Amino acid sequence: MSEPTAQPKIEVSDLRKRLGTQEVLRGVDMKIRAGETCVVLGRSGCGKSVLLKHLIGLFRPTSGQVLLDGLDISELPESELLHVRRKIGMLFQSAALFDSMTVEQNLAFPLREQGIEDEKEIDERVHEALDMVELLGAEEKMPEKLSGGMRKRVGLARTIVGRPECILYDEPTTGLDPITADSINHLIRRLQKRLRVTSVVVTHDMKTAFHCGDSVAFMHEGGIYFHGSVNEIRSSTDPIITDFIEGRSGDTD
Amino acid sequence: MLSTLGRSAFAFLSYLGEVALLVRDTVLLLPHARKRWRLVLGHIAEMGFRSQLVVTVTGAFTGAVFSAQTYFQFHRIGMESAVGPVVSLSMFRELGPVLAGLMVAGRVGAAIAAEIGTMKVTEQIDALRALGVQPVEYLVVPRAVALVISMPLLVAECVGFALIAGWMVGTRVLGIDEAFFLENMRRYTHGNDIAWALSKGFVFGIIIVFLSCYEGLNAREGAVGVGRAPTEAVVRASLAILISNFFLSFGLNIIFPTI
Repeated sequence: MSEPTAQPKIEVSDLRKRLGTQEVLRGVDMKIRAGETCVVLGRSGCGKSVLLKHLIGLFRPTSGQVLLDGLDISELPESELLHVRRKIGMLFQSAALFDSMTVEQNLAFPLREQGIEDEKEIDERVHEALDMVELLGAEEKMPEKLSGGMRKRVGLARTIVGRPECILYDEPTTGLDPITADSINHLIRRLQKRLRVTSVVVTHDMKTAFHCGDSVAFMHEGGIYFHGSVNEIRSSTDPIITDFIEGRSGDTD
Repeated sequence: MLSTLGRSAFAFLSYLGEVALLVRDTVLLLPHARKRWRLVLGHIAEMGFRSQLVVTVTGAFTGAVFSAQTYFQFHRIGMESAVGPVVSLSMFRELGPVLAGLMVAGRVGAAIAAEIGTMKVTEQIDALRALGVQPVEYLVVPRAVALVISMPLLVAECVGFALIAGWMVGTRVLGIDEAFFLENMRRYTHGNDIAWALSKGFVFGIIIVFLSCYEGLNAREGAVGVGRAPTEAVVRASLAILISNFFLSFGLNIIFPTI
């Protein structure tokens, strides 16, 4: 998959993470090229979200490396990580909007934190981001007044407003109705085309995987079981993968 | 039995250690408070300004009942004129700071722990970090500055209302001679006693803000976890205030000796 000459944007090598007594990640290896969208699939609790949080340094690995543009972020002190994180945007599963702020303040927050003081520029970028997620007009709303789908959109707008080089999506369609989920999938695809960012999408939604992914990594038992193109995973005959794609639990009535 | 004791002693020590680390991080990030002045002002309004009612009512009624009770006892031996200084000294040195501390721990400590705890379990704290903001710098530093400023003022108000109420009950209701009451109060109350009150308020502010922020930042998932954070914050802060007050009194007696 990866071009041998170009340095991968994100490289994970032998990543292990122990949470309490459980080893959640048992040696994850993966490379993601710049501009690529990699979808990480897997059953609930297989460690997908934990892997994603390592990519932005919210978790520190028990052992192994996470390289971003060749820089090992797993060893960086928190103060330096803060700067690295500004290159990465993350859409949280719950959208994680700041509930004490309006939509507009939520979007302006990362810009102000980056040191942008020009109110006109902030205003423009907030509007541009809201326009991209088709939520112009919702500036003054409080997060609790928004539906699940709208919250995800605002979360996505807050993620892209800082113009990150990478976007990490943690289960972007979980908990949404199929139509809203479909519109989020289209939105993700549109943003990729427009912003040309490197993306990692963690999901168990096959539609998201097939619609958004350039490559698909399938996680199983704390490791990457398979990493290939969308077509490759579709035509796979491995029972673990086919059971997942077709949603078979193997249980009988 | 012994292992249980050892384990809880160890848990207590590691708790103290973690709170100490939070204090250290806050102190290191203190210079950032300047750029967060809006937040600091907001917290002063919320935690300080809005705590005035509860603190002044507490002070007033404590001062009133303390004045009455002292009068009932002293009246039997003809020492009513000593009611003023007794009320004043005990309010300044012990009751004012402790009662204001306990009330603020209940009101503000619970709010801090609930707010930060909710942010923790709804991934908002992770979101802060993901956006390149240190949670301690954004959440703890402004609150610490705000409460450390507010608390001595709240203690002063608490004592002030206690003295007014004590004076009213003593002189107007119970008929102590006003001149004696005020003159004795003035003669036996010194600048050092005021320093006691303000110093204790300062320390209690620190205790409340750090113990509450700690509980919030370490809130566990789910309704039970978020519910437990404010309870723990209030209980721990209140106990810490009462216990530290005892040691503070000995310490302050060296720094601001009784004249």
